[in-house]
Amino acid sequence: MSKVLEASRAGALAAPARRPFRFDRVRAVVERESVFSWLMLTPPLLFLLAFLGYPFFYGVYLSFFHREVARAASFVGLGNFVTLSNDPIFWQSVRNTVIFTGVATVLKASGGLGMALVMNQSFRMKALTRAMLLLPFIVPTVLSTVAWQWILDPGMGLFNRLLVVSGLATTGPSWLGNPTMAMISIIMVNTWRGLPFFGISILAGLQTIPVDLHESATIDGAGTWGRFRYVTLPSLLPVIFIVTTFSIILTFFDFQLVYVLTGGGPANSTHLMATYAYSLSMGAGQMGLGSAVALSMVPVLGLLLVLLTFYVRKD
Amino acid sequence: MAKPAQSKPTRREVLKLAAAGAAAVATGPWVSRNAQAKPVSIVFARESAYVKNFDEHFQKVLVPAYLKETGIKIEYMIQAAGGSAPVQLVSMVENKSGADLAWVQQEWLYREALVDVSDIAEAVGKQQGGWYEEIKSLSVEKGKWKSVPHGNIGQCMVYRKDWFDEVGVKKFPETWDEFLEAGIKLKAKGHPYGMSMGHGFADNYSWLYPLLWSYGVTVMDKDGRRVALDTNETAKAVEYVKKLYKEACIEDCIGWLDPANNKAFLTSQISCTNNAYSIMVSAKRDLPEMGKVIDHGLNPKGPNGQRYHALVPVTHGVFTFSKDPQAVKDFLRWTMDPKQYRPWIASGDMYFAPYLHAFDKVPEWDIEPRVKPYHTVLETAKLTSWPAPANRQHGEVINRWVVIDMFTKAITGTPTKTAIAEAVRQIKTIYG
Repeated sequence: MSKVLEASRAGALAAPARRPFRFDRVRAVVERESVFSWLMLTPPLLFLLAFLGYPFFYGVYLSFFHREVARAASFVGLGNFVTLSNDPIFWQSVRNTVIFTGVATVLKASGGLGMALVMNQSFRMKALTRAMLLLPFIVPTVLSTVAWQWILDPGMGLFNRLLVVSGLATTGPSWLGNPTMAMISIIMVNTWRGLPFFGISILAGLQTIPVDLHESATIDGAGTWGRFRYVTLPSLLPVIFIVTTFSIILTFFDFQLVYVLTGGGPANSTHLMATYAYSLSMGAGQMGLGSAVALSMVPVLGLLLVLLTFYVRKD
Repeated sequence: MAKPAQSKPTRREVLKLAAAGAAAVATGPWVSRNAQAKPVSIVFARESAYVKNFDEHFQKVLVPAYLKETGIKIEYMIQAAGGSAPVQLVSMVENKSGADLAWVQQEWLYREALVDVSDIAEAVGKQQGGWYEEIKSLSVEKGKWKSVPHGNIGQCMVYRKDWFDEVGVKKFPETWDEFLEAGIKLKAKGHPYGMSMGHGFADNYSWLYPLLWSYGVTVMDKDGRRVALDTNETAKAVEYVKKLYKEACIEDCIGWLDPANNKAFLTSQISCTNNAYSIMVSAKRDLPEMGKVIDHGLNPKGPNGQRYHALVPVTHGVFTFSKDPQAVKDFLRWTMDPKQYRPWIASGDMYFAPYLHAFDKVPEWDIEPRVKPYHTVLETAKLTSWPAPANRQHGEVINRWVVIDMFTKAITGTPTKTAIAEAVRQIKTIYG
């Protein structure tokens, strides 16, 4: 055999033997479940850390400091929380937030259940109606809230015009100018916006309930109410729980709606913790105090969710 | 494969290279210094002006002119109107980036981030008749100008002259009592006042603070050390506003944000409000019939025989985090040169009234005589901090609507004394 041929054969044997060996080893390591799952988890984790973790922990850090815009921070320990505990507007915003979240969530859950039950029936243009019902959820909040500003206008607004035209009232109420009405209005707009989320989610839940369960219940003598009480509702409970949990979180932190409609007024009657935190941080430049308000929402919310979990489990 | 030819450098080439290197070393610092001193662009952030021409003039005339003169491009960052601009500015200061120069709204929050511009402000004042004194309490801190005043967005009474005439009020009321009297007649005719008292950012304090002052009340004393609100006169002012609201105003106005009174006026729901002259601009453009019957009046006089107005200042400041503050200052100086400044102000139909006495008698004020009160207000206008310094605490009182809410709480059922006591307590906490 010529030297040239020998050399080329040796090269041909050596090269492919080394390369696939390395690749296989890497592939074997990557394909191990423990490694692969971490590889998949790392990008979203980094994303969450950067865009949620960092602001959250920075907020926690700020809440222990007296920190004004463009100035150095000084450690005050729990000083900001002590200041807040003596601030009647803070407590008013806590009260407002609890009322707003509580009432709006109950309305959304019951309304959403009703909406889902209706949507579960067969009727003409069902698909179109379902799509239309999603609209409030799809339209950007700021945009729909501006529309609500017009709807709630005392003289030119749709509501008051309807009241006057139908002869129900000579002049309609001041929807945003009266403290009680303003709270009712923001709850109403939030409910309008959140209802489709409940409706569609519960509808999805409804469609997973096996028909035989209803048939068995009917055979056992259950009427419409009985089937709803003992078949539909228990089957829907997990869905309702998850949707309610999400809704409480979203409603508790609602900001845009109040910011656009009332700015927290009149006389702080619609100030929520989120709008108060914003007005302290960005308006008054008190980053520490504003962060303390924001942080105060976390344990309250945590407690609410734990209570809800226990309640549902017990049930 | 053929290798690329590697020839040895000739002696001539080596000498050339050495000479070029020596030249680079010698001129290097000068070149780089100048490259830094001359930024390619300057970012100028400003809330969009209500009068469109004003922004257009800047973009179409001033930006190209400066580019031609200096080679520097001005990037005009127009911020949305409606109260979000200060938040953006705070965010820029926190992040130390975003703009080089800005309409520094609520500058008391971040004066530390502004460059000393005393040289510009003093030269401009000297050249153009001197500054109105009151604006100095905003722009000057510890003897240094931290911003150059640009103009005042006047706040006056905007009213429907035809409806006032109908109830026999031929001249805008001179005192708050006459104002109430006229309002009662107008409301009876279905034309209530719409005096903003909600969580807005100008139309609320632009009449409530002047009203308080004309009752002889200020929020703080001159040094800003003692809360001066706790007086019998405050109670009288609150009682007056309660009565005015009940007997002369539309119910909605205690919840109004700033655009609401424009909307209510333009839809003929109210006969009077306190606003900039934007309502007339819109009416003349979109509702010509209404445009003819709108007029402006000064804030009425109070029991102390004085009338007051609130300043809504526009000031320009240079950020310390700008890459080249000196170049930005040069641009700011250039904009304040009468050659640029006067046509710019005129392009906005005097919406921004200069704080310079040289503009007191310019013919631009005669183009629309109904706009003149917006210049007259400068004689009696005060900053909301008056007579105390315009500091961060004062800003906090404004931005947490403490004084505004004192009035609205009383209107919505809190006893007057309690509403005042709560406001005083809150202010004391803020001032520490």
